[in-house]
Amino acid sequence: MKMKRIKRYQRFIFTKFFFVTIVLFSAFPGSSQTSSLTVISNQKGAPATLNFSELKSIFMGEQQRWRSGTKITIALMKTNTAAGKNTSETLYGMSGDELNKFWLALVFQGKASAPNFFNSASELENFVAQNPGAIGIVDQVAANDEIKTVQVEGKKL
Amino acid sequence: MFITLKTKIWLTVLSIVLMFTFFTLYYFPAQQRKLLIKNYSDEVQNLANTVALGVRIAITEQNFQGVQTAMEFVKDDPRLKFVSMLENDTTWNNDHTNYKVNSTVFKTFPENQHPKATIESSDSLIVKRAPFITSVMSGSVMLAFSTKEIAESQKKIRITSLVVSAIVLLIGILIGYLLARTILVPVRALRNAANKVGKGDLTQRIQKPGKDEIGELGRAFNKMTDDLLLTRQELDESNISLSEANNSLNTTLNELKAAQAQLIQSEKLASLGELTAGIAHEIQNPLNFVNNFAEVNAELIEELRAECQKPEAERDGQTIDEILNDIKANAEKINYHGKRADAIVKGMLQHSRTSSGQKEPTDINALADEYLRLSYHGLRAKDKSFNAAIKTDLDESIGKINIISQDIGRVLLNLFNNAFYAVNEKQKEQHKEVTPFEKVSPLYEPTVSLTTRKLENRVSITVSDNGKGIPQTILDKIFQPFFTTKPTGEGTGLGLSLSYDIIKAHGGEIKVESKQGEGTTLMIQIPL
Repeated sequence: MKMKRIKRYQRFIFTKFFFVTIVLFSAFPGSSQTSSLTVISNQKGAPATLNFSELKSIFMGEQQRWRSGTKITIALMKTNTAAGKNTSETLYGMSGDELNKFWLALVFQGKASAPNFFNSASELENFVAQNPGAIGIVDQVAANDEIKTVQVEGKKL
Repeated sequence: MFITLKTKIWLTVLSIVLMFTFFTLYYFPAQQRKLLIKNYSDEVQNLANTVALGVRIAITEQNFQGVQTAMEFVKDDPRLKFVSMLENDTTWNNDHTNYKVNSTVFKTFPENQHPKATIESSDSLIVKRAPFITSVMSGSVMLAFSTKEIAESQKKIRITSLVVSAIVLLIGILIGYLLARTILVPVRALRNAANKVGKGDLTQRIQKPGKDEIGELGRAFNKMTDDLLLTRQELDESNISLSEANNSLNTTLNELKAAQAQLIQSEKLASLGELTAGIAHEIQNPLNFVNNFAEVNAELIEELRAECQKPEAERDGQTIDEILNDIKANAEKINYHGKRADAIVKGMLQHSRTSSGQKEPTDINALADEYLRLSYHGLRAKDKSFNAAIKTDLDESIGKINIISQDIGRVLLNLFNNAFYAVNEKQKEQHKEVTPFEKVSPLYEPTVSLTTRKLENRVSITVSDNGKGIPQTILDKIFQPFFTTKPTGEGTGLGLSLSYDIIKAHGGEIKVESKQGEGTTLMIQIPL
């Protein structure tokens, strides 16, 4: 009986939350940040592995749907947080204001769906967990059994 | 200009329809367009404000959902021409004392549109701006909507107005027709009936008058014609009775005329009667002469015969001649006086004869004098005690004047008779007042004066007496027909009335002046 419960839970985890964790080491040239960033994703939509160009294409709003057809929803930390600032500089190579302006232009012209910015990693994780096709970047994944962190390739970007 | 009622009705209806059409086709659409543009502008401004708010929230709070929602709302609007985000750049001068704000287009949706930052609203476009200020950038959202929809709405409104106008026009025509029918038909019926009534046909009636004012008019008309008919019947009856009265009056008038003619004749006869005594006196004189001379002649003839029977030797031829001469002279005198009597009789006949109406040159002095004497002797013949002084002052320069001598003679006789009557009456009164021992008042001498004068272009004949005079109260009545103060049987009351008519017929005038107790003066003036 206990075994059955465990299996069901595992299946839930696999269907609902699939975390792709990418460790980013000084993601972009010229960046002085070396802290690690983790890419997390809802299980639904995101592929098991992503190369960096795909990742960038996704976060730059160029790729808007997963191969499965699910709409990509971007979740980022606000740029006034360390993780957000790190992400902005590492992934986008922009300051916070530049990132805002960048997204404003995209959203204004309807080229991309509005990304979601969060104040804390937990909020971001919750959001990703609850929205199929969601993908986000956090600096650390909370120790939670419900979240599975996947190290993708482990390649240094 | 004559405008028929029908035309007036149609003009009124058409004026109302045209005014309505003007409002629906021009005024209301124009107002509608203004309202549409205002609402549209407000809507566009609100959308621009929403987008600007979304932009501000997106930048300040990193929440892009608002701007996305606003933009989705704007983008889905089919009226959208473009929406641009303008970025303001502030450029300071070298001294940093003055600055200039340049607006540049940051992003535009759709991308194929490239509007200038300074574009303004036009007929085909409504442009609204909503500013936003953030720490990152400041600028404004510029939203441009097409006015095509307004034009289409307006077109729809215009079509609707046109349809409404057409319907109103049709209703107007219908109302006009109904008005013309409900007003004109009864009014025309009234007019026609009134015309016929005016021509005398009082049988005209308005059939089935309605319940409105025209119906009331119709009922009033019917009542009026009823009353008129009744009045006419009454008038006809009155006319008949009037006609009868008129006939009766005519008969009476004819009788009166006949009576008047008789009265005039009576007056003539009366004056003739009064004359008769005078005439008799006048004839008596020549007759006396005739008789006397005839008797003398008879005696002379006897003497002549006796002389002739004497032996021839004793006959005195001279005596015979003298006797014969005397006889001849007497015969001539008889003839003279016979002719005189003849003339008097002829004059009397002339007086009684109807006037010929022909004016002829007449010696007015002789005429007046003759009638004065006739009148005096006439009165003396009736009343032997009567005596009066006669004063004549005749203007011999008058000569003969053209008058109808019989008529004027009649007037003069009338005046003399009245004058002698007046002095006689006064004399009688005086007799009563004096003592029985005095037969005649030594104070009163009855006098009748006749004066003739030739004036500038007329002749005046004045008859005055010192008789009783005429009271002032009846002075203005003396020329009225049948007015007399004489006792019944002595006067007809027509004398002065006829005299007045005769003088008027001669173009002259007759005046009276009188003072009661002192005498009367009557003055005739006849134009030459």
